[in-house]
Amino acid sequence: MSDRASIAHFGQINRRTLMMGAGAGLAVAAMPKRLWAQGAPTLVTSIRSLSNPYHAVWKTGAEAYAASVGLEHVTLVSEGNSEKGIADIKAMLAKTGGNMVLNSDPNDTPDARPIVEACKSAGASVVTQWNKPADLHPRDFNPNYVSHIEFDGIASGKQIAEILFKAIGGSGGIIALGGLISTTAAIERKKGLDEALAANPNIKLLDFQVANWKSTEAFDLTSNLLTRFGDDIKGVWAANDDMGTGALEALRAEGLAGKVPIVGIDGIKTAVDAVRTGEFACTITSDPFWQGGMGLSIGYNAHMKKFDPATQPPEHREFYGKVVSITKDNVEEYYKNNIDSKPTMDWNDLWGRVTGAIRA
Amino acid sequence: MQSFWSRAGKARRWRAFAPLAVLIVLCILIAIANPNFIEPRNLIRVANSAAVPLTLAMGMTFIILLGSIDLSVEGAMSVAAMVLVLLATNDSNANNYGWFAVVAAIAASTVMGLASGFLQTTLRIPSFMATLGVWFIGLGFSVYMLGGSAVRLMDENIRALALSRFLGFPLAVWIALAAFAVAIVIQYHTRIGRHIMAIGGGEDVAELSGINLRRVRIMAFGLAGFFFGVAGVLAAAQLGQSNAVIADGRLFAAVTAVVVGGTALTGGEGGVLNTLVGVLIVTVLANGMILLGISPYIQQTVQGLMIIAAVALSLDRFNLKIVK
Repeated sequence: MSDRASIAHFGQINRRTLMMGAGAGLAVAAMPKRLWAQGAPTLVTSIRSLSNPYHAVWKTGAEAYAASVGLEHVTLVSEGNSEKGIADIKAMLAKTGGNMVLNSDPNDTPDARPIVEACKSAGASVVTQWNKPADLHPRDFNPNYVSHIEFDGIASGKQIAEILFKAIGGSGGIIALGGLISTTAAIERKKGLDEALAANPNIKLLDFQVANWKSTEAFDLTSNLLTRFGDDIKGVWAANDDMGTGALEALRAEGLAGKVPIVGIDGIKTAVDAVRTGEFACTITSDPFWQGGMGLSIGYNAHMKKFDPATQPPEHREFYGKVVSITKDNVEEYYKNNIDSKPTMDWNDLWGRVTGAIRA
Repeated sequence: MQSFWSRAGKARRWRAFAPLAVLIVLCILIAIANPNFIEPRNLIRVANSAAVPLTLAMGMTFIILLGSIDLSVEGAMSVAAMVLVLLATNDSNANNYGWFAVVAAIAASTVMGLASGFLQTTLRIPSFMATLGVWFIGLGFSVYMLGGSAVRLMDENIRALALSRFLGFPLAVWIALAAFAVAIVIQYHTRIGRHIMAIGGGEDVAELSGINLRRVRIMAFGLAGFFFGVAGVLAAAQLGQSNAVIADGRLFAAVTAVVVGGTALTGGEGGVLNTLVGVLIVTVLANGMILLGISPYIQQTVQGLMIIAAVALSLDRFNLKIVK
């Protein structure tokens, strides 16, 4: 009975509750302006998930940067849910009264627009990475939308392919494992592989299969491909390291680890270890530590009016970042600086890794 | 009238063998197209890639026989793999508990299963929602514990589950077969097995005949958790590492295998033998499509068609009163 009574009265308000509610509301509404308006901005990182090594390192980079400038840092995780990603950002904008710097890896391409628009109207500074619609440009949202950063997938796919071809001696058959077919990175990296194949007629692509970025699927696929092609497989091209390590374990089960070189992208720890033991020929990384810190640094410098985004050249507004390639030659050094210890980075070198404006 | 019923009976018996027939036809077709398929090396690979799905599907079969569903597969597996890798020799902490890590891993996921059963029976939450919740709890927990990165499993003895062989087959295959044998014994020779079938066939009747629904449900989900744990250990051993998303996509594969094998989602019909056939169909199909060089762009479509065909064949669907 009491349940029913409370449900019936739900939504009814007496005068005291109304007064208290209004009072609390006013207090909250008054707070942000006074507390944050003149204060330092809050640094905000918005990423997809913390369950993959890539974004986990991204967060470390963001925290390292925040510590270097002594600012508060908040990480928002969308868990692959675009609505949640955007709603969390809007909540942070409301909480900080727009005095914030956002570095965002939008969950999906269309998400970039509402994120940028919300930041513009709140007066926050935003840097996006990887995903944005082709017709959304930082220059149209001066000065709030500072920069957009991507990494050239075609160049990366081509670069690892060429290292692989060299590792197998310039001729022979290879198999390739691609990412989720609908993603831009997967399409671009494959295109890079195709370009490298076109330039190397002695290399034969035995089969291209899709393992959806996952090492478990790559494991099964590689075992099956070993049946189909056997000893004709001289090398494995993987569109990311996770699939590369799956392929490596499949090779290991057949006693082929180290005999058939693998190349991948991302620079995850397992792959770097495999480069050290000679099981991977190379891996390249967009350096999520740099992405996490530099995205905030570029945004923060613009927010503090250290530079005016509107006067920057196009290649500082929408650019490809430089990838770092990890091969036998530099792996020990990379390991020492990036895995055994946190890398040291010059966060003021804002444009040091710009390789050019993004292709239209 | 007499002849109609006997004909229907015959049809039903034929249908029980439909999945097996599908498997055999599939094998013959693939072998004709690419003789490499029946090479011993390939058959060993098929067995190896069936090991994890088979172990998982054993657990799932009992739940589907109950007429319930267990969505916690990916969470339970990921917790098991996480516990295993963090307690055994690894590259992230200094633990080195050897086989105790395996026991702890399986125990952790069994507890998760018992918790699913407990939530359903005590709070009266449908299995669909209860296990969905447990899935995310488990996943969140292993993300937290692993700190988002992949941790390598470096205990040679546990890695040997995937890397060493007995009679040509990796040890993982033998463990999956042992799990299968255990499941057979449970289903056909124990009281809990018979009670699960009875509840799936008709929960109210089962209750009236004195079966303790609550206990059977909790035990069945615990049992499923046990199998998911074993699968988690095998998966981590195969990949030589564990990350929170090690079980991605396994839920779908397990349910597919059970249903393709001819176990009805309505419960009370089918069993672990069917599931063995179902797992083999799914694995052979995946292997075969790669051997035949079918474009990755259409492989998924073929798998979807296969599922629909197998389910349509294996159940007497036209006599179903309701399709939901």
